[in-house]
Amino acid sequence: MTASAYAVYDGDELRDTVSAPVAGGRREVLIGVDGMHCAACVGRIRKLLAEDCADPRISLTSRTLEFRFDPDQTQLSSVLERLDRAGFKPQVLAQDRGLNAMVGERRDALARIGVAVLCAMQVMMLAWPSYTDGGVIDPRIDQLLRWSQWVVATPAVFYAGRPFLRGAWHAISARSLNMDVPVALSILIAYGASVWRTLAGSGETYFDTATMFVMFLLIGRFLESRTRALAGERLRRLAGSRQLTAQRETAAGIETVPISVLQAGERIVVGPGESVPVDGVLLDTAAELDEALLTGESRAVVHHAGERLLAGSLNLGQSPLRLTAEGVGAATWLAQITHLLQRAQTERPRFQILADRLAGVFILAVLVLASAGAALWWHAGIDHALSVALAVLVASCPCALSLAVPAAIAAAGSRLAAIGVLAARPQVLARLPAVDTVLFDKTGTLTMGELSISEVTVQADVERDTCLALAAALERGLTHPIARAFSAVPSRLFALEQIQEVGRGVKGRIDGQDYRLGALAASAPEAQDGSTLVALHRGEQCLATFRLSSTIRPDAEATLDALRAQGIAIELLTGDADAPAQDLARQLGIERVRARQTPEQKLARLRELQSQGHVVLAVGDGINDAPFLAAADVSCAMPRGAALTQSRADLLLVGDSLAALAPARRIATLADRRVRQNIAWAVIYNLAVLPLALGGVLLPWMAALGMSLSSLLVVGNALRLGAADRVLGSVSHSGESPLTEVCA
Amino acid sequence: MEILFVLIPLGVTLVAIAAGVLIWAVKSGQYDDLESIGRRMPDDEP
Repeated sequence: MTASAYAVYDGDELRDTVSAPVAGGRREVLIGVDGMHCAACVGRIRKLLAEDCADPRISLTSRTLEFRFDPDQTQLSSVLERLDRAGFKPQVLAQDRGLNAMVGERRDALARIGVAVLCAMQVMMLAWPSYTDGGVIDPRIDQLLRWSQWVVATPAVFYAGRPFLRGAWHAISARSLNMDVPVALSILIAYGASVWRTLAGSGETYFDTATMFVMFLLIGRFLESRTRALAGERLRRLAGSRQLTAQRETAAGIETVPISVLQAGERIVVGPGESVPVDGVLLDTAAELDEALLTGESRAVVHHAGERLLAGSLNLGQSPLRLTAEGVGAATWLAQITHLLQRAQTERPRFQILADRLAGVFILAVLVLASAGAALWWHAGIDHALSVALAVLVASCPCALSLAVPAAIAAAGSRLAAIGVLAARPQVLARLPAVDTVLFDKTGTLTMGELSISEVTVQADVERDTCLALAAALERGLTHPIARAFSAVPSRLFALEQIQEVGRGVKGRIDGQDYRLGALAASAPEAQDGSTLVALHRGEQCLATFRLSSTIRPDAEATLDALRAQGIAIELLTGDADAPAQDLARQLGIERVRARQTPEQKLARLRELQSQGHVVLAVGDGINDAPFLAAADVSCAMPRGAALTQSRADLLLVGDSLAALAPARRIATLADRRVRQNIAWAVIYNLAVLPLALGGVLLPWMAALGMSLSSLLVVGNALRLGAADRVLGSVSHSGESPLTEVCA
Repeated sequence: MEILFVLIPLGVTLVAIAAGVLIWAVKSGQYDDLESIGRRMPDDEP
């Protein structure tokens, strides 16, 4: 994108799309920053922005920058140009209300938790004399303590506990039951009974029960929503990164422009694995698209020429597709991002869905049990019946159970993020420990993604530069590593009917003649040094061969050794020829190698392994890896690969380094063990305590104390994960962590 | 023990102040970004 292209962001028509008004006439903007890899970059960006905004929020994990500026003094485009000149690639992401709402929700939740914790501690302290005394306390002081507890417990119940009360109210007005109903019921019974007894001046109070209840439930919810928000943020970044620009096809060639400057009727090219930027009409004869983000339909949809394509659908084809822009402007895109974010917010872990389904039955059982307890003890007086009902409600609250999984997942998630791994789906933590086979792709995964042209051998009477220009035209718009090697070559030529054939190369028509660029046929001498040889043909005549070489990732060997040490089998599946594959395998000590694999063969091999009972982790980056990544038990994508592959992967290596793979599996193993321990404890505790509560042995305050201790135990067990520094120890010598990575 | 009639209300008042300060701190965005602030000091080279 040229610097002048940023000027469009200053215009009035885009103002509300890219920035949102905040207090004092200032505006807030969210920008994705590619090329920000380390703390030093963060420092540089902060310096670049110093004169325009006081306090930018820069997130290294999601590679986003958020800042406020004064539109009267600062042009947004000048800030973007400055970032661009410094080597960062700023991409303006649409400012949606989702982000502001998310920040607001987080602040709200934190404030509520803070109030709940403060009040709960204070109420506990005020209730302490009544736990320990044997009737020796001065009745006037006893009454003072009750009134003070009432004062302190009130904000905890009605401010901090408002989400539960509101949730229960909504459920009841909709004539249904949710988890909030028994929670709100026990809070209100505990609070109401205590107020009544405080006014009466005698009897036990349960203010401590009510406040502790609110506190632990709030913490559990906060941890769970934070895990989901993290995945959502990454998704926003992924979805946003391509949406504001499009590849426009003009007489001069293909240029990348912001979609805001597109006019209806212009031609757009969408590369394989990229998403359609605006609504439009398909020009190619047929195209395969993934519209899952729009319709929820996960199977590919085939569209024919003249049909309307929707912004946000992904090009599943192996070649770029062309369309005429129709629905231009931010409207289509905004609709899509909103949808995406809603999906990220609502896509809940599987255990959670199960829990929700069970909740209805469970809640009914709890309410029945509590009423049964009260009925059973009715003969002993209403005081005792109430106390039993409350004890049952509190004892049966799956507080620890609701904390068990989110706490472990949150701890594991932040530990993984610290070593540069993003778990896009929480389920992955459960499956990763079972992995016993890792399938690696070669190019871009075990080797560095970028190939470069190291040698050109002209075979016919053609200029060297002409050959390069022809090859560059054939590869334009493709995301395959070979194509990227040619992307730096200037070319005025333009290829028509460009077709990418998986594993065989690309062909097209330039100036009326058929050209083909692809791997050399089997009869040709193979490259012995692990480099890739591609040949350019005009018809049947070979014009030139190009030698493309790539280097092995510096951390590949250590990573493979670490994985082998965990008893994992390693296999290399590559679309490349035998010689480079064997060569790489020799250098890295991989014994099982399959070269010249088509995506179908890769998928078949994966299914074969799975049918033998192996649990497979697939690591890849290209569009041709997408099907086999999708079928794998756990998939892992490299951050520089195709967008489609990334958006489908379970794990994303944000540090662009393999080194984190082995520690990630160890962290997942630990997390899985913690989750199991936590669930086992919580279930046993709840089952053991319930009969005691029903029998009237367990008083409400004991139930509350037991529940609190049980919750603390579960959270502490989960947090042990964060303290396990020996997990990190292996990263520091097998590769650099993203935090210490130095920018080139 | 009469002093408790002063001390306990005083304690409650202090909790109210603490809660107020905490809410102010959270709402003014001081807890929004706990990640990059810690890296700022090593970044600010003279």
